[in-house]
Order: sequence, then C-alpha cells, then structure tokens
Amino acid sequence: MLRMAETPRITVANFFEAGQSLLELEWEANADKAVGREIVEVALNRPGLALAGFQRYFAYRRIQVLGLAEMAYMSSLRPEERQKRYRILRNIPAAVLSRSRHMPVSVRKSAVELGIPVMRTHLVTGHFMNAATVLLQNMASPRIRAAGTMIEINGMGVLLEGEPGIGKSEIALALIKRGHSLVADDTTILARDSTGAIQGAAVEITREHMEIRGLGIIHVPRLFGVSSIRGGMRLNLIIRMIKPTADDEEIDRTGLDTTTRNVLGIEIPLVTVPVAAGRDLTNVVEVAALNQRLKQMGYDSARELDERLKTVLARKEP
Amino acid sequence: MSPEKDVTGPTAAPLSSDVVVKNRYGIHARPAALLVKTASRFACEILLEKNGVQVNAKSIMGLLTLEGHHGAKMRIYADGADAAEAVAALTDLFEQKFFED
Repeated sequence: MLRMAETPRITVANFFEAGQSLLELEWEANADKAVGREIVEVALNRPGLALAGFQRYFAYRRIQVLGLAEMAYMSSLRPEERQKRYRILRNIPAAVLSRSRHMPVSVRKSAVELGIPVMRTHLVTGHFMNAATVLLQNMASPRIRAAGTMIEINGMGVLLEGEPGIGKSEIALALIKRGHSLVADDTTILARDSTGAIQGAAVEITREHMEIRGLGIIHVPRLFGVSSIRGGMRLNLIIRMIKPTADDEEIDRTGLDTTTRNVLGIEIPLVTVPVAAGRDLTNVVEVAALNQRLKQMGYDSARELDERLKTVLARKEP
Repeated sequence: MSPEKDVTGPTAAPLSSDVVVKNRYGIHARPAALLVKTASRFACEILLEKNGVQVNAKSIMGLLTLEGHHGAKMRIYADGADAAEAVAALTDLFEQKFFED
C-alpha cells in the first residue's frame, strides 16, 4: 500500500548539512540565518549578469554561486559601486563563494553586511555547480512513504508489502540471517532521484530497528553485524504478499505476465505471492529477487521455456 | 508490462476522529504497542495521520515513525465493518493518556 506523496521543503540549513562534506562547505557569514530559510527555487545560479547591471531576469530565488569570474569583476569596481551592486543579492536564499582560496578581502566584508547566509568552498566553480545541482535535485526529489519492509538481496532492492501480521519482518529476518541486508522495516521512504531511479531508505528515527512479533523491537546491526543493514538502496522489485483466496485469479502461475506498479511515475516490477499459513516464503522471496536480476540481465526464464515449448510443439505438428 | 489491477472494492465512507497526544512522553514504544494491540482487535483498516503522513495503526514501527510527541494533533481513520468501534476504542486510548502519567 503506498501512501500520499510528501513534498520536501528545503532550507539553507538543510542544504549546508547535506553538502557539508560532499561540497566542502564552510560558513563565511550569517550562519544563524540559515535555519528556516527556505530555498524556494531548488537550483543554482551564477549572478554575473545581475552584478554587471542586467537584473531583469535575475533568478533571485535560487542559491547564488560566486566564482572567480564574479569576484574578479567585483574587484575591478570602485568600493562604493561594488557595495551598491552587491545589494541586489539581499533577497536571495543564500550565496556560495567557490574557489574560496582566491577570495578578495572585500567580498568577506560585503558577505557579512548583506545579512544573508554565505557559505564558501574550496571547490572549483564548475565542479561545485555539478555536484551541488545533483545534491539539490535529490533533496527536492518527490518521495512517498510505502508501508513495506525493504531488503537488499544480492544487489537487488526488494520491497515486501502486505497487511500487518502477514510476516514481512519474519521473512526479512530470515533473509538477514542468510547474509542479505535490511534497508527499512515496515515503513520505507521511496524517492525518485535525478536519474529516474527509485531509491528506498528507512525513516530516520526507526532505522536499523525491526519489530518481530513476540520478541518486540530489536537492533539489527548489533545482533547481526554492520553488513546486515544498508542505508539506502535502489528499488528493483515489489513483492506483494496476500492471503490466499478461493479464486486465485490474481496469481500468475507462468511468470509470463509481468505486472508493474507505478511508483512516482516509474514502473516497478511487481510479484504477487499468496501466503498460506505455515508457508515459509524466505526462499520464494530470495528466488524472486534472483529471477528479477536474471530478467534485468536479459534472461526471462518463463519466456525462454515458453519459446522452447512452442518450437517443440510446432515440430510435432502433423 | 501491464499496470496492476485495482483490487479495492466499494466500501462505506471511512470514519475519522481528531485526537491529541496527551501523555507526557508521547507515542513511544509502549503506547505504540498498546495502540497496535487495540487496533488489531478490529478487522477494519485503521490509519493514523499526523501532518499529512499516514501510517497503518496495526504496525508498531509505522506508528513510531510518526514521532507523536506530547501535544501532537493526529487523526484516526477507519474503514470497514467495525470502523465505528475501532475509532471509539483508539480515541479512548488517547483520552486515557495510554494509561500513563
């Protein structure tokens, strides 16, 4: 069961936190103003034209990146003129000074005076723009909560769905004991990244934990080691566990009809498995993941057999 | 690839009730377990919502991810034959502060 989409609201503080090590960000000025300061347009802009005097299409809702070119230009201006030009930045969410080793002293002074959060990075501007764009896109990517347990099985991200009590966590536990890893128990956050892949992760507060009926809450990596968990994983397959009904109309007995589920606009292969009382689904889930991997590698077991059957049957035709 | 069939049938309009977390420590493990135990007595589907995020009320881990602190406003949704009894029972748990404090 998939729940409603959440639109993440991104603040300058979120951006700094997420990019601190990746983008080598440090605070230059007004770090205290970053909390709660929303980045309305989640993108980057180089304000060269605006600083040069052409302000009509200035994308002031974006984070502004000042590189060597902007700094060199601003340094060429007289101090009063420079201050005036910098003032167009007073309504932007934040500014980043790249190549900060080459930063003129005047920029530091103006940064403080502007009253906006200003970060700096040693990275070269082009490299920073690329990395920060990907980071921002991932932060702003649409996401939903899925009621399901996610596990990684031999490099495949598998989401187990089914009513509470059907045995999702028990299967995950058995898979962990076989050397596979837990991504999230019971509730999984699914987000579409900038490449169009769906990425699954746990909700921060309950990550690394599982609830097993009769045992209660357990901490997975302490019991099974660090390899028993994964921070995040691409979603390759959804396995829906259902109680068996009199008419098993929904159940595909051949594996020829591939069903999919649309997750945030991406079709994800879906397998529906009936769970009879006492049936151990660990093997089934493990093999479903392997079979999906085989399909991704270009081999569809059901289809190959069907083709072989058709060939043999055609030969026997009188 | 064919899209999944919609298997949801016609049901009566779901019931809901607004509640506030009144116990001091909020919905930590013990109140969550109590909610799950109570919710599981009913056959209907029961959801708990906070700030637009919905979780299944029959799942402990789901309830914990809501981070229901003291004073948090939530809404109970129930859909099914015994929905009215379920909503009443769960609302009562909130009112009784989960028998804490």
